[in-house]
Amino acid sequence: MTATGIPFQAERSAKPEGPFVPASFKDSTAVDLVARPVFEGPGRGWLLAFLAASLGTLAFGGTIIWLFVSGVGVWGINSSVVWGSPVANYVWWIGIGNAGTLISALLLITRQPWRASINRFAEAMTIFAVAIAGMFPIIHLGRPMYFYWLAPYPNTMTLWPQWRSALVWDFWAITSYLLFSIMFWYSGMIPDLAALRDRARTRTAQLFYGMLALGWRGSARHWKVYRTFSVTMAALAVPLVCSVHSIVGLDFAASLMPGWQEPIFPPYFVVGAMFSGFAMVVVLAALIRWGYGLQSVVTVRHFDIIAQILAASALIMGISYATEWFSAWYGGREADRSLIVYYFTGPYAPLYWAMLLFNVVLPQIFWFPAARQSILLICLVSILINVGMWLERILIVWMTLSHDYLPSMYRLYFTKPADWLLTFAPLGLFALLFLLFAKFLPTVSIHEVQELRREEAKA
Amino acid sequence: MPSLNIDPPRSKRTAAPSDFGIGRREALKLLAANMALIASGCSKPSEEIVPYVTMPERLVPGVPLKFATTLPLAGYGRGAIVTSYEGRPTKIEGNPLHPASLGSTDVFAEADIFNLYDPSRTQAPTQAGEIRAWEDFFTAWQPVAAGHRQDKGTGLVLLTGRVTSPTLLRQIKALQTAFPAMAWHAYEPADNGLAQSVKLAFGRPLDILPRIGDADVILSLDSRFLDAGPQQIMLSRAFSDKRRVRRGTKDMLRLYAVEAAPTLTGANADHALAVTPPEIEHLACAIALRFGANGVPNPNLSPELSHFADAVLADLKAHQGRALVFGGPTLSPNAQVLVHWINAKLGAPIAYIDPVAGSDAQPGLPELVQKLSAGQVKTLIAIECNPVYDSPADLNFAAALEKVPFRVHFGLGENETSALCEWQLPASHPLESWSDLRGPDGTASIVQPLIEPLYDTRTPHELLAILAGYISPSSYQIVKETWRPQGKADGFDDQWRKSLEDGVIAGSAAKPVNVGEPALPEIKLAPAAEAITLVLLADPSVWDGRYAPNPWLQECPKPLTKQVWGNGLGLNEATAAKAGLTHGSRVRIVHGSRNIEAAVFVQEGHADGAASLTLGYGRWIAGPIGSDLGANGFALRETASPWVLDGVKIEKAASGNGLALAALVTKLDAKTEDLYPVLSLAEVPSANFERNREHHPSLLPDVREVEPAWAMVIDNSACIGCNACVIACQAENNVPVVGPEEIEQGRVMHWLRIDYYEGKRSPPQQMHANGFQPVPCMHCEKAPCEPVCPVEASVHNSEGLNLQVYNRCIGTRYCEANCPYKVRRFNFFGYASGQEYKNLGAEVLYAQKNPEVTVRARGVMEKCTYCIQRIARATHTAAKENREIPEGAVVTACEAACPTRAISFGDLKKSASEVSKLRTEPQHYALLGHLGTQPRTTYLAKVINPNSGLERGEG
Repeated sequence: MTATGIPFQAERSAKPEGPFVPASFKDSTAVDLVARPVFEGPGRGWLLAFLAASLGTLAFGGTIIWLFVSGVGVWGINSSVVWGSPVANYVWWIGIGNAGTLISALLLITRQPWRASINRFAEAMTIFAVAIAGMFPIIHLGRPMYFYWLAPYPNTMTLWPQWRSALVWDFWAITSYLLFSIMFWYSGMIPDLAALRDRARTRTAQLFYGMLALGWRGSARHWKVYRTFSVTMAALAVPLVCSVHSIVGLDFAASLMPGWQEPIFPPYFVVGAMFSGFAMVVVLAALIRWGYGLQSVVTVRHFDIIAQILAASALIMGISYATEWFSAWYGGREADRSLIVYYFTGPYAPLYWAMLLFNVVLPQIFWFPAARQSILLICLVSILINVGMWLERILIVWMTLSHDYLPSMYRLYFTKPADWLLTFAPLGLFALLFLLFAKFLPTVSIHEVQELRREEAKA
Repeated sequence: MPSLNIDPPRSKRTAAPSDFGIGRREALKLLAANMALIASGCSKPSEEIVPYVTMPERLVPGVPLKFATTLPLAGYGRGAIVTSYEGRPTKIEGNPLHPASLGSTDVFAEADIFNLYDPSRTQAPTQAGEIRAWEDFFTAWQPVAAGHRQDKGTGLVLLTGRVTSPTLLRQIKALQTAFPAMAWHAYEPADNGLAQSVKLAFGRPLDILPRIGDADVILSLDSRFLDAGPQQIMLSRAFSDKRRVRRGTKDMLRLYAVEAAPTLTGANADHALAVTPPEIEHLACAIALRFGANGVPNPNLSPELSHFADAVLADLKAHQGRALVFGGPTLSPNAQVLVHWINAKLGAPIAYIDPVAGSDAQPGLPELVQKLSAGQVKTLIAIECNPVYDSPADLNFAAALEKVPFRVHFGLGENETSALCEWQLPASHPLESWSDLRGPDGTASIVQPLIEPLYDTRTPHELLAILAGYISPSSYQIVKETWRPQGKADGFDDQWRKSLEDGVIAGSAAKPVNVGEPALPEIKLAPAAEAITLVLLADPSVWDGRYAPNPWLQECPKPLTKQVWGNGLGLNEATAAKAGLTHGSRVRIVHGSRNIEAAVFVQEGHADGAASLTLGYGRWIAGPIGSDLGANGFALRETASPWVLDGVKIEKAASGNGLALAALVTKLDAKTEDLYPVLSLAEVPSANFERNREHHPSLLPDVREVEPAWAMVIDNSACIGCNACVIACQAENNVPVVGPEEIEQGRVMHWLRIDYYEGKRSPPQQMHANGFQPVPCMHCEKAPCEPVCPVEASVHNSEGLNLQVYNRCIGTRYCEANCPYKVRRFNFFGYASGQEYKNLGAEVLYAQKNPEVTVRARGVMEKCTYCIQRIARATHTAAKENREIPEGAVVTACEAACPTRAISFGDLKKSASEVSKLRTEPQHYALLGHLGTQPRTTYLAKVINPNSGLERGEG
């Protein structure tokens, strides 16, 4: 990790209404800022983090091997609660994966200039999160070696997937979202890769970045095509972002189970995804900013805005939960009503209360401007939000399946070591991918920061 | 042009020997030789296939044969029809001609097929643990026998369980002729305990056969007549027939059950009252007094009990001649005599017959232990019994046994007794044996083998012949000899053949005898006890422990608690709270100088101050499956009062929880009455569950209207919760056992479960309106499991069956998540495919598997198929005969097993079919029908017949 000029504590003094990019910033400063960590050798901090992340990745791989050898019984799943932590983890990672593209695309279309400095790593976060999320539905299968049966391919059995199943929709949603996100991320990076190519001193680096830059020369024609392309992609991205988590919501909603069969699930899942995604962006932004000395481009104002979004999303989450309670009561079905009572009084109730605290109550602290100035506090609440969102996902699975229609099959979920390994170890893989990204690729969109500065200078 | 100029040096070069000295040709040659070597060396070992040179009679490969035979339970026979594939028995069903089977089975009969293939069976004789040949035993026996011939058999003791087998009785008699001083002791650990009282009452031993079909009112005084036992099928069939309600039924049998601890009998009663054993005797006295008994002390009844007594008495008196009182083993012999007396006064429909078991007159264990302790026994031959484990603790049998110089144990597998015997002789399973048995009503039937003995085993008949000096006897000849009439033998072979085909020997049932008025006993009433009274019960799953090595039974949920793989000390909430205990607490049960540890199982239906424990657990040598599970009730048991222990103290022991449950018991309340509606007889005609059958709009396609349309109707009223169907399904469909750890994790594999709905109690000791509901797959017409499967592994066929295609299943488990009935079962591990519990992967068990049912692999979902293999067979047969599938041609395994005929299966498209008719009954309803699943499995609501004189429900 490179030494930074500004100590972490001093950041609070930055004014929320100030510019997103300091006026003193030259175009070359932005390139310097991003290129320096790429071309300098890895610091000790980076190496240590890389080692830790590798261990996590190994644990993840090892657990998966253990799982494949022993069978899915290594999880705490049982005959009633047939889904467990893999499904919750899947939804959680998809949720994390939602924010990056959302930030880039939605904010691009709505012309929110401040996104410039955070969208790149938010997109990277998306891709890594979605890639990890995509593993869970496969390792969750009883017979993972046949996962490709979800894809329509010509086969001797003359069988296709069953299109009415939400799991097939899911398969398409994840695949298309992942492919799209990679394209969007990569195409957005091309001008910056070209900048790195131009800065590169070694032949290998020049070749590497040169290949990736696809011959970008920064001509006016290039820029014109690039702009059109970005906006078009962004326009495509927004519905895709909404669809991916809506369909995850439909995995539950397109069922017959109390607590799942709810029309509010698709929008509620999208908001939830945005919520947890933004919370994750906050944590990563703080880390990158600190680690790479990006205080000048990732400012407290960014955190302030995201904190506001978090507070608003928390309210929507609260409304979603309340809608669930209301519709259960209003619908009048015994199974639904008793499930809501079970939420608040059943054996999982402490987790449910914790979830409400983390997801709805705590973020309300951001109504106070002072709270939005403390990056530490924002990070803390964001971490708790991500815990709360994980609880939400695991409780959706546990509570409905533990308490559905026939009391004789009510069962609790008892976690086993594999549940925890497969919950925490993927964070190692995520960190590993992110560290590699931060080492070798432009973590901040250079050209967009430059552009933002120019616009701010004009204003 | 250039082609002409190409010069050959390149090919020359390759042809030239390389640096290694091997040219291309050589290399190829070597490669080819290598390939040939690999191909020949690594091919599968050659297996010789030898077709039948002479085809066995009637055998068509792939088509099962069925044979009639008889299976023992506590010495009595139950007729059975056994299915055999190419000489390998796979499934046991009931024999309709046998009065103790009536075409049905009980849980033990269903599970007996496993015992045949049990990998823990003893496979050869052993002497002090060393494998020997039978000839070695014969050699070892000769000097002993010679000694006994000299001393006329003094000190020679034969120990058996109950013996009804005419052949065995004949052989024992013959042996007694050879050794006149030989003693024969017999005992049965889970006997019904009535013999003593019958002798007291009538002056001679008799067996009692209640004629429930002629009764309108039954009062059970802790009698357990519907619980597992040799008579369960007979009695429960008659009981449910008298309670079957169909359109227009005007009356039904009423059952009052008074009991100290919950039993199946109480669970099936219209009024069940939980009171302690002394209070039950008070109640018996109160009833006897009203019938004019002299010399019976005045009872001391609580107001509630007295109210109950009044109502019951009025009912009994109103049904003079059609009322029955059952006395149970927890009553003192004198109180039981009182019950016989009351029955006589009532003119109760009871047939008395001479004792069926020839062993009843024999001395039992106490006398044997006396002799053993006195060192009077030189030779002990224990035949298919396990006294070291299942004798009352006060006898201290094991210590006494050690004094015998020559000890022989003969049985299926190793057990606690065999471990203390020098010789352990392996017995043949009944399915490998020729023998004969009598049912509880005296009907004799032949036990015929379905398979050659798997191991070097002998039947008891062969053992007795060996003891008598024959080297290689044939039990076939021995058994046949018993039935060959003296003198003339014409027509015997035909009769014999018919007996084998029918599975019963015609006209062999015992004739009722006339008995006089029973004597009135001297009764001393004990005051209600202060300390806790412990009631012992035969276990519904492992009986007296003899079925402990059977994993199917270990994993069979006990009807009232759903507990598996162990037992618990049953207590009601009040008693537990008083002792500061909660569900799952580890306790020490102290009685006198003896104590055992157990886990507390809080269960309503116990009397205040009463605790219960089932026998059969805590075995220490019962193979890998049955050892070290639960608490051993025999370790507390006493000879004088084998079923009740007074003055028991319960102390807290170390913490821990060892209660594995396969399902939960549901309390019936307003929230569950939709799931399990209960109607009184009067409410039936006006019952209306139409709302429940509503058809909602659905996105799912309609089932194509093709005949037949398979459906099942289950009569909740008839189900007594005996579990026979559960094990029948397991045997028929190759359902694997998962083991206790998996059960604790919440994983079960049974395709069919029986939900138990426990009624309300008001007042607290009285229970009403509870019952059982077998839940197989509902085969919904709009099945929620189908649209959610991403690979179409869950599909519907044209006959309305909801099918699971195992090969296609990838294990997303969405189908089970979306099943409102939770009837799908997932192979979390390879329970049947490489990750079996303990020794259940043994090769010998492959032979038990039904070859028509796939053994499922890890990671796939499975569930009830309506026994599609049986449907397919019936369909093929009908197609061959070019006709429709006749009604009754398809009988599912659960339906066939059910002793009370609670399950009906058939074609909905035929208006005359049983299921079609049952579907028009007013009490017909669909479970969770309001979800629009349109299940093909539907129910008839539970109908009860409460006495209006006693409060019901909320009261």
